[in-house]
Amino acid sequence: MKELYRTGDPLIWLTGGALAFSLLMVVGLIALIMYNGLGFFWPKDIVRYTLADGRQVMGQLSEREEIPQFGEGKKEPLWRIKVKQGNRDLYGADFIWINEADIKTEEKPAAAIVLERREWGDFIGVIKAVKDGATAIAAEPAEGWKALTGALAGQRRLFEEARALERDEVGAISYDQEKLRLANRALKLKGAKDDDPRITANLAGIDKLHKDYEAVMERVGAIRAKLTWTVVLTGAGGVEKELPLYMIVRAVKPNELSVFGKAGVYLSKIWEFISADPRESNTEGGVFPAIFGTVLMVMVMSVAVTPMGVLGAFYLREYARQGVFVSAVRIAVNNLAGVPSIVFGVFGVGFFIYFVGGSIDSLFFPEALPTPTYGTGGILWASLTLALLTVPVVIVATEEGLAAIPRNLREASLGLGATKFETMWRVVLPAVMPSILTGLILAMARAAGEVAPLMITGVVKLAPSLPIDGYFPFLHMERKFMHLGFHIYDVGFQSPNVDAARPMVYTTTLLLLGIVLALNLSAIVIRNKLKKKFATSAV
Amino acid sequence: MNQTESTIQPEPALRPGRESGRAAARPSSSFDTRLRADKIAKVMVTVGGIAIIASILAILFVIIIEVYPLFQDPEAEPGVTMAAVEGAAPLLIMVDEYQQAGLAVDANGLRKMTLVSREWGGRIALGALGGATVTSATRHQREMALGLSDGRVMRLEAEFTTTYPEGGQRHVELNVNADEPVTVRADGQPVRLIAYSPGEEGQIIAAATGAREVSLARTVESRSLMGGGEKEITVTRFGADTKGDITALTMDLRGESLFIGTAAGELVRVSLVNPQTPLHVETVTVTPGAPVSVLGFVFGGRSLIVGDGKGGVSGWLLTRIGEGVETRLQKTCEFAPHAAGVTAFAVSQRNKGFITGDSGGGVRLHYATTERTSLAFSTDGPVASLAMAPKYDALWAITSTGGLRQWTLDDPHPEISLKALFGEVWYEGYTKPDYVWQSTGGTDDFESKYSLSPLIYGTLKGTFYSMVIAIPLAVLGALYTSQFMHPSIRGVVKPTVEIMAALPSVVLGFIAGLWMAPMMEKIAPGVLLMPLVITAVILLSVTLWRAAVPGRVKRRLTKGAELLVLIPLTLFGGWLSIRLGYGIEELFLRGDYRVWLKEVAGITFDQRNTLVVGFAMGFAVIPIIFTISEDSLSNVPSHLSAGSLALGATPWQTAMNVVLPAASPGIFSAIMIGFGRAVGETMIVLMATGNTPVMDMSLFNGFRALSANIAVELPEAPEQGTLYRVLFLAALLLFCMTFIVNTVAEVIRLRLRRRYSEL
Repeated sequence: MKELYRTGDPLIWLTGGALAFSLLMVVGLIALIMYNGLGFFWPKDIVRYTLADGRQVMGQLSEREEIPQFGEGKKEPLWRIKVKQGNRDLYGADFIWINEADIKTEEKPAAAIVLERREWGDFIGVIKAVKDGATAIAAEPAEGWKALTGALAGQRRLFEEARALERDEVGAISYDQEKLRLANRALKLKGAKDDDPRITANLAGIDKLHKDYEAVMERVGAIRAKLTWTVVLTGAGGVEKELPLYMIVRAVKPNELSVFGKAGVYLSKIWEFISADPRESNTEGGVFPAIFGTVLMVMVMSVAVTPMGVLGAFYLREYARQGVFVSAVRIAVNNLAGVPSIVFGVFGVGFFIYFVGGSIDSLFFPEALPTPTYGTGGILWASLTLALLTVPVVIVATEEGLAAIPRNLREASLGLGATKFETMWRVVLPAVMPSILTGLILAMARAAGEVAPLMITGVVKLAPSLPIDGYFPFLHMERKFMHLGFHIYDVGFQSPNVDAARPMVYTTTLLLLGIVLALNLSAIVIRNKLKKKFATSAV
Repeated sequence: MNQTESTIQPEPALRPGRESGRAAARPSSSFDTRLRADKIAKVMVTVGGIAIIASILAILFVIIIEVYPLFQDPEAEPGVTMAAVEGAAPLLIMVDEYQQAGLAVDANGLRKMTLVSREWGGRIALGALGGATVTSATRHQREMALGLSDGRVMRLEAEFTTTYPEGGQRHVELNVNADEPVTVRADGQPVRLIAYSPGEEGQIIAAATGAREVSLARTVESRSLMGGGEKEITVTRFGADTKGDITALTMDLRGESLFIGTAAGELVRVSLVNPQTPLHVETVTVTPGAPVSVLGFVFGGRSLIVGDGKGGVSGWLLTRIGEGVETRLQKTCEFAPHAAGVTAFAVSQRNKGFITGDSGGGVRLHYATTERTSLAFSTDGPVASLAMAPKYDALWAITSTGGLRQWTLDDPHPEISLKALFGEVWYEGYTKPDYVWQSTGGTDDFESKYSLSPLIYGTLKGTFYSMVIAIPLAVLGALYTSQFMHPSIRGVVKPTVEIMAALPSVVLGFIAGLWMAPMMEKIAPGVLLMPLVITAVILLSVTLWRAAVPGRVKRRLTKGAELLVLIPLTLFGGWLSIRLGYGIEELFLRGDYRVWLKEVAGITFDQRNTLVVGFAMGFAVIPIIFTISEDSLSNVPSHLSAGSLALGATPWQTAMNVVLPAASPGIFSAIMIGFGRAVGETMIVLMATGNTPVMDMSLFNGFRALSANIAVELPEAPEQGTLYRVLFLAALLLFCMTFIVNTVAEVIRLRLRRRYSEL
């Protein structure tokens, strides 16, 4: 025994154990997110549970856990299940816990369907009738299903049409109205009188736009009048509910679907997740605005951070006189990468938003005050804050690249009579490009995953419009935006119905993780290629 | 990283001169252009580079600029002076929000003041006064109570209304509404002192007549069903049970207690809860031998300020004794004393500031929360009366000769002092001085509590527990990876850990808050057992391995292949400790450890607690410590370990006695950098703790960290306000903490690198 411990093997094993534990944590975490994130969209079968007291519950099994038992003595383990019963408007809650001991029978009724609705979450039930206005079209589950799926697309298209009118045309009208109103304010600020012809012309314009608005609303009303189809459903326990068809986003009959059918639903749900707007205070629908916001913010940040980082690195390594001062600056820049991101956020609030933004507002947008235009959080300020946060990453990567370029390359260029600038521009910069790219990708990965500084510089839970749209100047850098990371925080922690939202959060997490890891992996790949390249060319 | 020569210039010999004969091959103008381009580029890169680096470093500067006003001393400038008005000097003055108009109460009644033109205005007729004169006056916001020379008291309301006529200047109008006077002494004794309370159930006026006698006039509005109440006024009179004559009088806002100051230095509290029989509750001595000359409440009606004849100014609170409802007067703070006896007092109507004046003409500005006396002025004679402008932007003083002086005040952050930020402060409603962070409250008179101590404590607490988890795992893991692992496996392990570093903290926070917290609640005892159990499992298996597996097989296994065995072993150990945890809970902890904790140790259990944060933040810190430690361990020159092994040391002995000591500065700096990351981590602490700012080292409670506090409160903080600046101060603290720690770590690392190259 003593001999065994003298070899040190047990202690080596212990250090290995520490490593194993860390590795298990990483792998476990990623597996957990994948499992929860990927499984959510798979249509689960609908089960009808009949309980011992005669009650019926119909829904999708979501979780099973042991019931904690207190007190003395060994007991048989008891289990309970969590069923997603939907129909929040009727039952009050999406989920219900059932003790397994109470379940008498369980069956999978073929006629049961899940309707994904625009409001109130899912409805789970059996079709009783399908109607067009007062006319009954079908009165039996199988026929009703046929009628429902037949009419659904048409009704939904009409609904979308009305919504598009409201969003685009009415949006354009109110945008123009606001512009005229601000123009009038600006004129008045410049001292124009109320009876100034320009002001009266603008007022007339506002009136005319209001008439346009009424005309559009009339068209909307005409379309709305055609949304007459409804479906009557019976939920578990015999409750009935009549739903207009246009309120239904998707109708699925999971118990009759084959694996391929389910895979189709799965893919269509994933597509909706990526491409649609969120519904029901972000707990349902898609995350498209958040993806868009994240990507745009990272792009704006890249545009800002690349020249800054490259210029800084070239100065530090190629132009500055090397010495104690430059080393100190270098250490300081390196250490800024370790300063908490929230501190950068605070700087962004104090400097960008209130100082720079406030000045821009009072110089260029006095007519909109006191409503701030640039003097409040927005995508530009968030991007610039993150650019500052990540500039040390680019500087360090570029500097490393510059240090790795063999000296004879430079000397050859200078020897041939090129000036220093020409050497830098034609020889050094192309050689260092891959390092710059590595740094940039690392910076993008860091920026995509940061949330804390964004929370105070312009991220919101629900942005009314994207930062890019069809109105001049098309890119609206002052607008607030949505972000995947903040979406996770908001839906997971601020949402009123955390239970129902949780799978959604896992999926969003998976998406964010995928983006961040893909960026990191590509940086690693580029770095490794780079190492090989210089390993052969170095002296 | 080599230092590349950066000052390479084209050799002078190669530089074709302008006079060179090769002008035909290379036109000199184009060469000039090239040289100029080179110069311009050099200037641009230098200027741009310096600008960028400066702007990065400007972060610190901008934050300091925003924080600085917090610590600026308040400033006061002498403003308006007005000569004495003919007749008696005013007893009391009141000014409007814009300091345009004012109202003065003097012996003969009310007089308007036009402050913009510095003129005394005309009298406001008070018919009810009759032939009497005003002998005492007090004020609560826009309500006033006057004591008259014929034993009557009178309530009135004075209100300034501001209007902006079309295209004109701001216009302030004064409206006075006087109630019918109430007789408290039919025999016509003058009312010496008066106190007023709006009361919970109706206004109360307390009047001191004679030496030790107080009369109370209570108005109760009886509401009838028809609407429109009938006012009923009851007058009670009682003799105060004091040693000295009554010299000061005040009442709390609810009209429940009357406070009497006496010539003998007593402060007496009389309960008015029972309207018919005022009850003498307690007597305390303020300053022995000094008469109590001034009594009053600061804004909010909780802190009682007492000024005495020797110039002392102190703050008192009614604090609860023990668990019951009984309260006692307790001195909570003492302000810088005046040189002469205190004669006048006025409170701010928007914060806990107040001013006191003395018989020698001194005026001082105090702040109740911070116990600070921040300004002192002097006037030319004894101070008769004081007033504070409603916006806390000016002070007004009336000397006994009737002259009026104003000082404009610039004190944007009176509630901040070093003591308020970091020390213990006795807040209103607390039973002892405490460290409290509570930036906003429901009411206007809320006392903001800006102690950063609980937040710093929370930050350090979270950091401490996460380091406890991260350091052993990361350092031991790095030791194993660098010393005992086959390079081919290392090629898989290192990127895996690097991926761990790339995980966004919002993801870790989400998993910690929504998955780990409920999970941990079920298995907390098992988790605490885990280090012990896993260690035991591994030690046991290594013994079995040695005993059972023949040497032949062992030798054929690659070095570092233990990891393949260790992963299932660790999993098994984890599972075993959770089972054991259940067992222990069943056997020793009465079946539920949370109940046990509450009953035996008095610890409450929060689901989102420090244990969860420790794991999640440990997870974020492990890859940082691991990567840097691993680098410095594997960069130890290999001839050192080779020599040690050749001399017969085992790999373990070599690792412990040769490699580890050589790399220890690197590991230290790894830990420092990990510490820096944990201190500033925001999303994890925000999502995985309850964010309650408590100071408590318990593993099962949450906390609130500086970083999370900024993220939560900055969006709500008005620009340039106190909260805004305090949050900037919190950011400054975080910046300094991490910057210093990282710089030290970086310097250590650079020195280590130099040492390696020397070895």
